[in-house]
Amino acid sequence: MKPFNRRDFLRYGAPAAGTAALAAVYDLQSRPPARPLPRIGESEAGESDPAWRILNRAGFGPCPGDLERVRAMGVDAYVEEQLDPDSIAESPTLLRRLDNLPGLTLDPPEARDYERAEQLDAAVSPFLRAALQLPNPTLGRGPGAVTKELRQACLLRAVYSARQLQEVMVEFWTDHFNIDQGKADCGWLKAADDRAIRRHALGKFRDLLAASAHSPAMLVYLDNTLNTLNPSGGPGNENYARELLELHTLGVDGGYSLRDVQEVARCFTGWGVKAGPDTWPGEFVFREAQHDPGPKVVLGRAIAGGLGRRDGEEVVDLVARHPATARNLARKLCRRFVADAEPQDLVAELAGVFERTDGDVRQVLAALFRSPHFRERPGRKLKRPFHLVAATLRALAAETDGLGPLAHLEAMGQPPFGHPLPDGFPDHVEAWVSGMLGRWTFAIDLMSGRMPGTRVDVGALVGATKELEPVAVCRALWRALTGRSPAKARMDAMIALGADLPAAGARWLALAVAGPDFQWR
Amino acid sequence: MADSQASGPRGLVFVPKDGPRGDVLVLIHLRGGMDALHVIPPYADPDYSGPRPRLAVPPPGEPGGALDLDGTFGFHPALAPALDLYKAKRLAVVHACGSPDQTLSHFEAGRTLGRGVSDGRLTTTGWVARHLLTTPAGTASPLRAVALTRTRPAVLIGAPGTAVFQSLTQVVLDVPPDWGDAFGQVLTELYADGSDPVAVAGRQTLQLARDLGRIGCGENRARREVSYPKTKLGADLRQVARLIEAEVGLEVAVIDHDGWDSHIDQAAGLAGLIASLGAGLAAFATDLGDRVRQVTLVVVSEFGRRVRENSGLGTDHGRATAAFVMGGAVAGGRVYARWPGLHPDQLDANGNVRVTTDFRDVLAEIVCRRLHNPNVRQVFPGFNPSYLNLVAADQKV
Repeated sequence: MKPFNRRDFLRYGAPAAGTAALAAVYDLQSRPPARPLPRIGESEAGESDPAWRILNRAGFGPCPGDLERVRAMGVDAYVEEQLDPDSIAESPTLLRRLDNLPGLTLDPPEARDYERAEQLDAAVSPFLRAALQLPNPTLGRGPGAVTKELRQACLLRAVYSARQLQEVMVEFWTDHFNIDQGKADCGWLKAADDRAIRRHALGKFRDLLAASAHSPAMLVYLDNTLNTLNPSGGPGNENYARELLELHTLGVDGGYSLRDVQEVARCFTGWGVKAGPDTWPGEFVFREAQHDPGPKVVLGRAIAGGLGRRDGEEVVDLVARHPATARNLARKLCRRFVADAEPQDLVAELAGVFERTDGDVRQVLAALFRSPHFRERPGRKLKRPFHLVAATLRALAAETDGLGPLAHLEAMGQPPFGHPLPDGFPDHVEAWVSGMLGRWTFAIDLMSGRMPGTRVDVGALVGATKELEPVAVCRALWRALTGRSPAKARMDAMIALGADLPAAGARWLALAVAGPDFQWR
Repeated sequence: MADSQASGPRGLVFVPKDGPRGDVLVLIHLRGGMDALHVIPPYADPDYSGPRPRLAVPPPGEPGGALDLDGTFGFHPALAPALDLYKAKRLAVVHACGSPDQTLSHFEAGRTLGRGVSDGRLTTTGWVARHLLTTPAGTASPLRAVALTRTRPAVLIGAPGTAVFQSLTQVVLDVPPDWGDAFGQVLTELYADGSDPVAVAGRQTLQLARDLGRIGCGENRARREVSYPKTKLGADLRQVARLIEAEVGLEVAVIDHDGWDSHIDQAAGLAGLIASLGAGLAAFATDLGDRVRQVTLVVVSEFGRRVRENSGLGTDHGRATAAFVMGGAVAGGRVYARWPGLHPDQLDANGNVRVTTDFRDVLAEIVCRRLHNPNVRQVFPGFNPSYLNLVAADQKV
C-alpha cells in the first residue's frame, strides 16, 4: 500500500475537479489533431477469415487498419503479441483519458473519500474553490465518482486499448468473479478488485483466485464479512464458500458436497475488511478472534486445527488445482471464444493444459487459439451488448468519453459491474436476443448524433473508403462493418433512402450496425 | 427458440421454450403510503375511531359506513366495485403487512419494497429482476417484463429485457424524422431472411412494434362489457389486459398508482383513488375472463399511515399497511391478518401499527406457487418466508 499524501491527490484532484465543472471528462486541449484514417472496406472478410475472426474473438473487433495489419503480420504472430500485453505500447488516447479518472488508482481510504466527495482539507478547499470557481466545497466529482469512473474506464479500455486480448480476459474474469457495484460499498471497493483482476488476467489462475479471496469487494459482496465464528456452534455465513465452489472453481457439477461448503465456510471465518475511522478502511484484514480454530475436512483433505488464516489459503490452493476447476474454466473459455455449445474434446484438451501448466491462463489461451476447433470450425457467437457497443465505436473510430453509451448498455441489460447475481452476465445467445430494440436504438442514436459525449466523424469514414460514387461508398462502409458486401437488393434499398454524401453514410452505417450480420462476432 | 405462429387476429404467439408457464404477475404500487386503516377499516376494533374522530370510516349500516367483509374489517364504501370480487373469493386482503425496515421515507421505503430486502442498501436490484433472472427465459419476448411507468421501477432494476413505457404506442423505433419512414422498412428487410436466433428475434421484435401500435387502448378493444375507470390506473390496467390477451410473452407488468400520500384532507383526497382502485380491479378481472386463472395481481404500498389523524384532516407516515391479492388461484374472500391491535400499548414507539406480516411472505408465496420459481432464497436473499396459504399451487404444466 503506497503512502498517499495530499499533494498527490491535489495533482490528480485539481484538474479532475476543474473538468468536473465542465462536465467533460477528457482534456480537450490535449486531444491530438485528427489523423486521416486508414482505408476501410476495401476487401471482403467475414467470419471465416482468420484475421477477422481473431480480431472479433480475441478482441472487441477491428479498428480501421487492424485487418490489414493482422493479415500482414499473420494471425499467429498477432496472438503471440496479444498474449504478452506488457510488450504492447498502450494507446496514448486511452492513457490520456484514464489520467482524468483519478478514482481508478486511489487506495481504498482515498477511494472511499472520493466516492463520497468528502471534504479533505479545510485549509485547501477554499483556495481550490476560488481558483476553480466551484460553488461546491467538495473536491470530488460528486457522490459515486469512483463507481462511475470504473464504468467509464471499462468502456474506454475496451474501445481504445491496444491490449485487446487482455481487455477481453479482464471482462471474462469480471464476469467469472462477478461483483455488483450496487451492493453496499462495492461501488468504490471494486476499484482495487479491478486492479487485481487486471494484474492476473493472463497469469496463473491460483494467483487470481487468491487475490479474489482477499478482495474486500468480494468479501463484502458475498457476505464473508458476516462469516464469523458462531459462539453457539452454528454456521457462520456460507455465501462466499458456496459461490467459491459453485461458481469460481469446481462448478455446480464439480463433485463437492454441502458439507464441503460448510467446511470451506469455516476455513474462511475471520476473513474480513477493515472499517472505522482509525484503521485503513477498505483493506483486507484477518481477525483471529472471529476465526473457527477447529480442524476441517475439505474435499477429502484434512486441514489441521489452529492454522488461522492459512486455512483459507490452503482452500484456495486446493480448489485452484482441482481437476474439476480445470474442466469448469476450460468449458467457460470455450464458451467465450469458440461456441455456446462447447466442443467437449476441446474442453478436455484445454483442461489438460490447465492442469499441466498449473493453471497458466496464457498457455491455455495459446492452446485454444491454436486448436483446429477455433481455426476451422468455431460456432457463431453473439456480440453481447457491451461487445456490440465497443465493436461499433472501434469500427467507426468514434470519439467517446465512455459515459454516453452507458445508458444504452443499461437499457440493453449489460451495464458494467451491474449484474445482480454472482454468476456474472450470461454468455449464450438466448439470454440476449430479446434485446434487439435496444441494439437498434443504440445504432440509431449513435449515428444521428444523439449520444452525449460520443461522436462519429461520418465524413472521415466516407473519405476513408477512398470511393466517390455513393454505391461504392455504401458497399465499402458495409464491408468495413460486416466484412461482406451487401446484396444488390439491400444496396438498392439503401441507395433509395438517399445518396447525399456524407449524410447518407450515417444512415447506412446505422443499418450496418443494427443489421443481423453485425450482431454476430 | 420461441416460434412465431399465426394465432387469432394478432398473429403473434410466444410459445414457452421449456418449463411450466407461471401466472402473469401484475404488480400495482400505490405510491405515497396507502392508509390501510381507511381503505380497509378495522371498524370493529375498539381503538379505531378514538384517534380518528373525523376520519374514521363508520361501521356498516351507518351513513357512509364500511362494507362489511368479515365482521372485523370492511371496505371503504368507494371500494364497492371490488366487493363482488371479494365475495367471489377472487380477492384477498393482507392486513398489518409491511416491511421490517423502520424508515418512514418514501424513497427509502419504496427502495426497500422494490428491492425485496429488509435493508434497502443491501442490493440495488429489484426482487422481480431477481425472479426473472432465476427462471428460464421461457420465451425470447422483448416484452417479458413491462413497466407502465415513467422510469424503470425499483422492482425491475437489473431485469433482463424490460420495456418501460407509459403507453403501448411508445414501443417504437425512434428514427429521426429526417431519416424517413423508409429507414424502418429497410431494417425490416434486413431481418426478413434467416432462421438463426437473431433473425427470428429481429422479426418478432419488428412485428411486435407494429402490433403494439395496433393494440393501443381504445374503448372498442375490450371483448366484453367492461368499463374501466377513466383514470390512469384504468388505462394502465386496460393496456395490461390487452398485452395478456395478445400473448406476447408477458410475464410481469408493473404499474404505479400515484397520490396516496394523504397528509391533508384525506377523506376527500382518497375517495377518488379508492374508487379508481376498486373499479379498476373489477374491470380488469372482468376483462380477463377465463384468463384470470393465469394471472396474479398484487397491490402494495411502501408503508401505511399513523393511527392518529393529524390537524390537517389527514394522516402522517406510518408502518403497517395492507396488500391486496387478486387472481383465479387466490384463496380470496378473506382478510389475512395477525391483527396487532390499535391500542396505544399495542402500537410501536412512534404510535404506528405494528407490522405482523412481512410483505415478502406474500410475495414469496406468489413467486413460488404461482410463478413456479423455487429460487425464493435468491429472489428474497436473507429471508425465510412463512406462507399464508394465500394462493393455490396447482401443478399444471
